[in-house]
Amino acid sequence: MARFVRNLAEKAPALVSAAVTYSKPRLATFWHYAKVELVPPTPAEIPTAIQSLKKIINSAQTGSFKQLTVKEALLNGLVATEVWMWFYVGEIIGKRGIIGYNV
Amino acid sequence: MVPPVQVSPLIKLGRYCALFLGVVYGAKRYDYLKPRAEEERRIAAEEKKKQDEQRRIERELAEAQEDSILK
Repeated sequence: MARFVRNLAEKAPALVSAAVTYSKPRLATFWHYAKVELVPPTPAEIPTAIQSLKKIINSAQTGSFKQLTVKEALLNGLVATEVWMWFYVGEIIGKRGIIGYNV
Repeated sequence: MVPPVQVSPLIKLGRYCALFLGVVYGAKRYDYLKPRAEEERRIAAEEKKKQDEQRRIERELAEAQEDSILK
């Protein structure tokens, strides 16, 4: 046990630096995409969003959503599912636990 | 590398609204469940104490009854 701890203490800096070297380019790629795709909407974009929402409601009312191809409908379904999954991620954050409520 | 895709503002708004609503829901439900769980634990502990007391009494009664000088 003592030998393991000493080994770990000796190798830890090498491990940490190896982890950093591995993750740096990947973090850079992630940041490159996240800066554009995951950023929250600016207040200027909210009217555009409301317009899109009105268009969707309109298409639901007039029945023009039936003109969508199956492929488009599936893609829309996937996007909607992804948006809904963010709700569950928020719930995980709110309940401060990954599985279940630790009451 | 594929250039990053421009996400529609509606989707961005929807995502962050869903995230915020999720946090609120999770926090509220946690606050609702916490006192109930504590109450339940308290009741279970009381029940357990009563059961243990009963068993102790029964055990001592049984020991007292089978005690005899003929053992």
